[in-house]
Amino acid sequence: MTYISAYQYYENGGNPPENANWGSYQYVSLEDIVTNFQLMYAGNHSLVNNEERYKILFHAKRGIQELNYDAFKEIKILELDVCNNLRFVLPPDYVNWVRIQVFRNGLLYPLTENIQTNYSDAYLQDHDCRILFDQDGNVLKPQYSDLDFERITSGLKSIYLNKNSIFYGYEGWCCDGYWYFDYAIGARFGLNTETANANPTFSIDRKGGVINFSSGMANEKCILEYVSDGMENGNDSLVTVNKLFEDYIYAYIEYAILSSKVGVQEYIVNRVRKKKASLLRNAKIRISNIHPGRLLMNLRGRDKWIK
Amino acid sequence: MINSVRNTVLAILNKNNYGYISPQDFNLYAKQAQLDLFEDYFYQYNYQVNKENARQSGTGYADIKKGYEEVIDLFSVFLPLNFVASQFYNMPSVATTASDYYFINKVLFSPSQAAGGGVLATDFVEVEKVTHKKINLLRSSLLTSPNDIYPAYTTEGDLLTVFGPTGLVQNSIWCQYIRYPRDPQWTYTTLTGGEPVFNQSNPSFQDFELPLDDEYNLVSKILQFAGMSIREVTAVQFGGQLESLENQEEK
Repeated sequence: MTYISAYQYYENGGNPPENANWGSYQYVSLEDIVTNFQLMYAGNHSLVNNEERYKILFHAKRGIQELNYDAFKEIKILELDVCNNLRFVLPPDYVNWVRIQVFRNGLLYPLTENIQTNYSDAYLQDHDCRILFDQDGNVLKPQYSDLDFERITSGLKSIYLNKNSIFYGYEGWCCDGYWYFDYAIGARFGLNTETANANPTFSIDRKGGVINFSSGMANEKCILEYVSDGMENGNDSLVTVNKLFEDYIYAYIEYAILSSKVGVQEYIVNRVRKKKASLLRNAKIRISNIHPGRLLMNLRGRDKWIK
Repeated sequence: MINSVRNTVLAILNKNNYGYISPQDFNLYAKQAQLDLFEDYFYQYNYQVNKENARQSGTGYADIKKGYEEVIDLFSVFLPLNFVASQFYNMPSVATTASDYYFINKVLFSPSQAAGGGVLATDFVEVEKVTHKKINLLRSSLLTSPNDIYPAYTTEGDLLTVFGPTGLVQNSIWCQYIRYPRDPQWTYTTLTGGEPVFNQSNPSFQDFELPLDDEYNLVSKILQFAGMSIREVTAVQFGGQLESLENQEEK
């Protein structure tokens, strides 16, 4: 990647999109990584020699993927409406979620994950509970399992949270915005604190590729913060690495190649392994951006009285 | 150089009336000798690389490897490959690039030419050689599948198949290769006193393409071929001794 003029940087040389180069100087491209590695770390007089370029490319991409999962802290954010089916289809480059929030009345409310099951697949069965198949031998499935149907139609019990109500903390059913409760006889024990939250909860169906919400999420705006693997949908020209991790990526490729190559002495493998680990540590510290100015603001909260 | 080599060979062979070789025979032996020395350059180059890695080689005037590189580069050719169709190109050959290849060093792809913008020297992308065993695996790999930025190629007979880029046309694929040296031809016009007279202006004249310092080796190799031809063991042995002496001195 060549250096660009200020005009190219700010206005992309007058071509749309204007923001194409904004912030680009923080990154080094995959092409540069592979080229530089071949030039500087591979050859007749280097530890790495006689290796195909595609192996270098593979390890470079694997290293970038791993960095994207945690070290880069490059969070992608997507806003989508959740409809009556209480479903949020995961974005195409989704790998893992960071935070899920509902955007309501100009405020963001973080949602909590419900690790209890709130979705299920289902098979159609006859009156003897025998599974039904089609003519090709495939099992027949309903559109929704009963579990899903109950959730979507607000059939499941949940905790009513309204301090001003006499039903505060009671289990009940929310239907069309109205709450219904069992006739109050005796005491009720065992509040499930996991789901005892005024906001809707969610559960992620990874294989199904969707986030399933509790009934209170219908017709709300969901903000999903997630991480991807940095592969930019297979477009190699867009794959980049933060410059703080550039040396680490070279060390990672070197280690990955040497550790899987026959005849490389173990002390050399160990040397490059340690180099890789220490460079990752350094890069993580650097990208954390810990400096006195930031600590100062946090430490100012020390003397604050907790009421 | 070829006339000097021939004169030296004949001078040695004719001593004590050992024998004589015709210009046609000399040209045959000269070709063999040149090919032998040419191929040896690559092994010598590798030997020097190993010496450097063993820290037994110096820099500056002691950089022997550099000398071999320079000689090999004398035979370097950089030309576009002949486009056949779709993703296929002809391998370098006398018919398409005016010379046969000994060693393909790199194959380059011109994205600008494929996009219809002409060849730009600054945007060449190296096409990687992949074995037939690996190419299908590579193409089905999500992370390493060949594309415009990381293209790959295989070879089948006289065809080169490019994987990854689309819109390939003539001049999209270029090749830098090491060609074979041209066959040496000692040419003459007339016979004077029974002897052919050297004629350098003959259109089919071709001198040795190896550097001057290889004259010694050429003489010793041709002597061995010629000695075998005239069934003179002494000439063969002498040529062999010269060669082994040269090798010992070099190393």
